[in-house]
Amino acid sequence: MTTDAFLFWFLALVTFISALGVVVFANPIFSALSLVMTMVTVAALFATLNAFFLAGVQLIVYAGAVMVLFVMVLMLFDLHKEKKAFTQGAFSGSVKLLLGGLLAGLIVGAVSMSKELYKAISDQAVTNSATGIESTKALGQLLFTQYIFSFEVLGILLLVIAIGVVALARSKGGTHVK
Amino acid sequence: MGSDIVEIGINGIKLVLIFLMMVQAVPILVWVERRGSAFIQNRLGPNRVGPLGLLQLLADAVKFLTKEEFVPAKGVPFLYYMAPIFALVPGAVAFSAIPMATPLLIDRFELFGQMWGPYTILFQGYEIGVGVVFVLGISSLATYSILMAGWGSGNKYSLLGALRASAQIISYELALGLSIVGVLLLNGSFNFGEIIAAQQGPLAFTFIGHTVTVPFLPNWGVFYQPIGALLFLTACFAESNRLPFDLAEGEAELVAGFHVEYGGFKMLLFFIGEYGHMIVGSSMFIALFLGGYHFPFPGITPEVLRYYATELGYGPQGVSIFTALILFLSFFVKLALLLWFFIWVRWTLPRFRYDQLMDLGWKTMLPWALANTIITAIVIQISKI
Repeated sequence: MTTDAFLFWFLALVTFISALGVVVFANPIFSALSLVMTMVTVAALFATLNAFFLAGVQLIVYAGAVMVLFVMVLMLFDLHKEKKAFTQGAFSGSVKLLLGGLLAGLIVGAVSMSKELYKAISDQAVTNSATGIESTKALGQLLFTQYIFSFEVLGILLLVIAIGVVALARSKGGTHVK
Repeated sequence: MGSDIVEIGINGIKLVLIFLMMVQAVPILVWVERRGSAFIQNRLGPNRVGPLGLLQLLADAVKFLTKEEFVPAKGVPFLYYMAPIFALVPGAVAFSAIPMATPLLIDRFELFGQMWGPYTILFQGYEIGVGVVFVLGISSLATYSILMAGWGSGNKYSLLGALRASAQIISYELALGLSIVGVLLLNGSFNFGEIIAAQQGPLAFTFIGHTVTVPFLPNWGVFYQPIGALLFLTACFAESNRLPFDLAEGEAELVAGFHVEYGGFKMLLFFIGEYGHMIVGSSMFIALFLGGYHFPFPGITPEVLRYYATELGYGPQGVSIFTALILFLSFFVKLALLLWFFIWVRWTLPRFRYDQLMDLGWKTMLPWALANTIITAIVIQISKI
């Protein structure tokens, strides 16, 4: 087994276990921390594919900022009642089974349908520098030329969300209420 | 990692050495901090154990190791033990990615009856093309150690301290990330090696067709990006949770913040983590704004050092080792001065109030960093005319 293959299978195993932990843990804090672990291992998988910029951004944005906020908010709640309601009972169990089955079906479907696509892509020679500088430049150029419209629309969407959150927080109470 | 077993071995040993460098700097830094604070406040500080009190930290470490081991009754043992160990990881991993001198060239040599080499050994843990993004990403994981400690201790003061710390770190991460965009734009690179190489020699730039050279100043990023440098340094203080931004500890209202339930060596691990953040922040500041390992005198470039080493009669291997060691000395002196600056500020400025802290981060530093980025981009475009 080569080093790359070993790294891939090891990271895949850790990703799988921590992703399983997200849904299996009863305590939401442990679920959130497992999700952090999943994000970090996915970033490591990006790094093994020489996509260092994506790996760094994944770490900064998801693991370093978004999940910190999740964990922070979860730590402030007292979730004993909700934990009971969501971990026991036939109704929540059946919903979970249903959703798990749906997700599994989606994943299997996506993998089996993308087989042809994958073969088509892997036939093309993938030229990528080992340092990841060239791919970062290419990514930036694509974002600001070919995909500029969708990129800017996404930015405006995020801005609208941020303004909406501030407006809601100011009108519904809190420390900075008018 | 390397092409054969010797190179892999050397690289592995190098990683361990860099980690040990970070950990071993901590006792000296704690001694400097205690003695320095004492002199700033007209006291003497620890001066009984060993010469100048230098062995005080050894005595403290022995004391820490023999403390009673306990877990708080309402704590979560897994997170409680995980947090101090995890506190060391981001600092050590990020510090390894920063180059500290020029590469070493090792000639062919014989070992166990076989010829090995030649090798080029980088004076850093590992080389990553987008090093700046990588270091920022890894350091942003440091929050989890604080959050795990705060929640795993099962203590209200710990939890409040952890929440304050993580809110503060997230807020200042934005200003930290934006403050270096100017440097990245100027150099057109995410790579520490390229950014440092661009800062060698005298201050020289081209502006609308005119070439300006200032022979007595080095070509450092701080002269191009003074606002960026100031914002970056301030954000570093906030990221490492040190005074004047140590609201997370706030002795007056929170006892000690997130590590209130920790005693003995576990608390020392948090200490090492905090100093590790100082070291990573300082070395990043040196690499981006203070010319990395280059000398402050524009006349002494690595080429000049290589020339002198050749004059002294060294071969290619000796020349590379001589140059790397002298440049590492330059990096080390800069690092020591910056770390002293961290300590000096801690014992000079009083602590902020929490709303002042948030206002500074969101309403002052973030707009200034944004303005700095936009103005830098415009000036770069104008100067290309």
